Amino acid sequence: MNGRETHRSTLRTRIGTAGAAAAAALTSVTVVAGLLGGVSSASSVPPAARSAPHKIGGSVSVWGEWTSTEQTAFEAALKPFEKSTGITVNYSGKGSNMDTALEAAVSGGKPPAVAFVPDPGTLRVLAGQGKVQNLGPVIGSLKNNYGDAWNELASVNGKLYGVWFKAANKNTVWYNPALFKEAGISSTPTTWQGMLADAAELRAAGVTPFSLCTDIGWPVADLWQNVYLKTAGARNYNLLATGKIPWTDSTVTRAFNVLRGLVGTPSFLFGGTQGSLANKYPDCVDKVFPKAGTMPQAAMVIEADFVTSEITGNSPNYNAGTKGKGGAACTANPAQTPCYDFFPFPAPKGFSVNSGALQGAGDVGMMLTATRQAKALMKYIATAQPGEIWAHLGGFTSPNKKVPLSAYPDAVTRADAQELTTATSFVFSLDDLQGTWEPQMWQDMLNFVKTPTAANVTSIEKTMQSQATAARAKSGK
Amino acid sequence: MTTLAMPGEQEAPDATPPAAAKKRKWNRTSIAFVVPAAVWLGLIVVYPVVATIRYSFFNESGSSFVGLTNYKNLFTSDALLTAFRNNFIWVVIFPFFVTFFGLVFAVLTERIKWATAFKTIIIMPIVFSTTASALVWSSLFDLNPHVGALNALVETVSDWFNPPGAYPVDTAAGQTVASLASSGVRVAPGSNLRSVAVVRPGGTVRLGLVGISPATLQVLEAEPATLPKAQPGAVTGLVWRDFSPSHPASRTGVFRDEDGLPNLRLSLLASNGSSVASAVSDRHGLFAFTNVRAGAYHVQIDSSNFRSGFTGVFWLGTQSLTPTNSVGQTAQALLSVPLVDMSMIVTYLWIWCGFAMVVLAAGLASLDRAVLEAARMDGATEWQTFRRVTMPLLAPVLTVIFVTMIINVLKVFDVILNEPPGSSQEGANTLALSIYNFGFTGGIHTGLASAIAVILFLLVVPVMLWNLKKLKQPSNG
Repeated sequence: MNGRETHRSTLRTRIGTAGAAAAAALTSVTVVAGLLGGVSSASSVPPAARSAPHKIGGSVSVWGEWTSTEQTAFEAALKPFEKSTGITVNYSGKGSNMDTALEAAVSGGKPPAVAFVPDPGTLRVLAGQGKVQNLGPVIGSLKNNYGDAWNELASVNGKLYGVWFKAANKNTVWYNPALFKEAGISSTPTTWQGMLADAAELRAAGVTPFSLCTDIGWPVADLWQNVYLKTAGARNYNLLATGKIPWTDSTVTRAFNVLRGLVGTPSFLFGGTQGSLANKYPDCVDKVFPKAGTMPQAAMVIEADFVTSEITGNSPNYNAGTKGKGGAACTANPAQTPCYDFFPFPAPKGFSVNSGALQGAGDVGMMLTATRQAKALMKYIATAQPGEIWAHLGGFTSPNKKVPLSAYPDAVTRADAQELTTATSFVFSLDDLQGTWEPQMWQDMLNFVKTPTAANVTSIEKTMQSQATAARAKSGK
Repeated sequence: MTTLAMPGEQEAPDATPPAAAKKRKWNRTSIAFVVPAAVWLGLIVVYPVVATIRYSFFNESGSSFVGLTNYKNLFTSDALLTAFRNNFIWVVIFPFFVTFFGLVFAVLTERIKWATAFKTIIIMPIVFSTTASALVWSSLFDLNPHVGALNALVETVSDWFNPPGAYPVDTAAGQTVASLASSGVRVAPGSNLRSVAVVRPGGTVRLGLVGISPATLQVLEAEPATLPKAQPGAVTGLVWRDFSPSHPASRTGVFRDEDGLPNLRLSLLASNGSSVASAVSDRHGLFAFTNVRAGAYHVQIDSSNFRSGFTGVFWLGTQSLTPTNSVGQTAQALLSVPLVDMSMIVTYLWIWCGFAMVVLAAGLASLDRAVLEAARMDGATEWQTFRRVTMPLLAPVLTVIFVTMIINVLKVFDVILNEPPGSSQEGANTLALSIYNFGFTGGIHTGLASAIAVILFLLVVPVMLWNLKKLKQPSNG
């Protein structure tokens, strides 16, 4: 980090602190929001804020799920905060154990001051128990930083308890632009029917349309959930997730039937039905975006945005977007100018109202102990700066509207981030919210891929309903 | 399950030596020696057994008594009937073959040079962790011939006898020769494609096909299609990829970005359907039958051009070896013999043959050579000696191996967890794996898992007792 950048960031944090002071004086939440909104542009610094640095000092303990390279990136994102406030951040990466570790720490009475959880359910449970601090009085409204969908997910009974930091988008269909071009497809599909028409087009051009990652259950569940969200909407999605809509509901059947148009057409799938059942993740991604030396074997893979690391890991040649470096045309051959791009998972015709509904995942930050240091950190997290830093480092998309799109390294990540920030509603993966019967749900989904018939759908739905009921009866919800 | 099987295995240390058996007076010293072991055994063996049996009569979370419900579910759910069936398949096939191969190897290693080296190689798999072996075999059995060694072998042999055509159709994805016909072509008997129009010498035909992979054309070095020129006394024509990326919806016309189809074998059919001449298309897709006698002809594209290559056997798939496709779900659960079971049994044989061989070789070494010599002196052939003398003498060892292996496969677990893909897990399930799935992952159902454990225990106990009896016999007699 060079001197100039450090200087800039110090200024920014000072504004934040000044803003808090102002809030204390005026007891007006809107003023804080206004100040926070202006944080990312250094030009709007009022002269009064340019006072001598006021260092808070001390330390704050932070837990999150990020380890290894992600941990390094997260710590880099907090560096300016540490420098300007003199607060030492003691970060501890808990990996996939984050939720359990936090629950244990909370019931043991020694929770970290700040925690980032990959599940808003945990936030809601802890908020219900009064273990998480209300952030309203600390940072005010975040209306200008996040879309309503995000703030609602982090609020309980109208009170804000969390600040979203990192998000993943599952509303993506990744395609190889060169293969689309070979099939004469000039623009990406915007409806489910359009996508299937393009698939037929690809078939006529001799290109296998889809590589389905259906050797295991979770990718099928993600795919089905996308279809359900697009056909039934976020409200029904949440009702289904919590058992208020049964699995035998007509909306469920409709989603299965829509998906049958794809899964039930073996000629659209790499290796047909059997080949799909043996198509391992992440090999299924490599079928569309292969390493140099092999040609792509399918044009599209329906997966979350985290597959980009697999794609770029296959070859550094891969260009994000539909053009190579210097505007060169994309090639199917990964040794030349291979490209990758995505289009938003399309809603079927007549369901465009749900186009902005996104399925994904994200980490929400919350404050468990209201120390001065923790409060300062929460304020910093809500600003654009930490997200901007991590975005530069790559492998990061923020739901924060204040993180400028220019911070992202390429057009594809930018489009991905834009989808996230403008989502009209955001839902977490339904299977992850199912608790103990999740593996059974995955098997049921695989069962559907094996035999995608209307009769089988009926029997699968019955099975799912009885499994869900049993699991719910057990957990007492 | 190991815990449950332990009381029997632990009986040996309890057996008091004959000398000490005379004075069974319990004095303090002997009690002091027995108590720690008894307490320990009570804790790790007796208590778990009793607790498991108790849990098996309770509900999912072990909070309320449900009587025999778990046992009823055990024998009525299709998923668990599948597990029973698989255990049955394993028990019927595996112990026999492992004993057989163990015996073959044991007898062979007696007669060859480098016997120790051979034995070392055969026994090596037992040193590897079962999980590692399962994963290795998982890739050996991979569906993709470029990954799975077994399918690569079958592919080589299959291509030798049945070479794929220049334009193989993707039969795995349900692609047919008929789906390739686009303009001027129709399907003829025997999956041949035939010109719709009748052509006479001096005339030309244009045969358009779709669904031809651009990658194939690249390999065959195809050039853009050019219109055929009429030649007197000859039938000329063009076969081309009737798909233009610039005009994806337009068929019939020959566009500049459409390639000819090279290397297609064509026949000229007389009006009675007999082939009078043959030709092969060039890089531009042009072909010519010269010196054709006057008459009406059809041009045929032979089906051999589209013969699909070997697409891989899904060794780890759940397709049944018995014809159970049309029967109900429960009957299927009971009667199917999935291929994945056979593949896993091969893996398990690979692991355990060495063990059987070593035990049987030890048995062979301890045989009374004089008896064998006597048999040979009396003029018995090698086979007779083996069948009438060696086998009966080895019978006790053979039985021990056989029975030990029955117990071993009743508990089979790690191969099934690790070898088949997720999509085959349900069909490859066994009782031991169900205990794990119900008891420790996903829809945790302590009661059901315990009930399965009890049933498995009941299945193992008679075999185990019989084995113990057999083991004790030599010392008794």
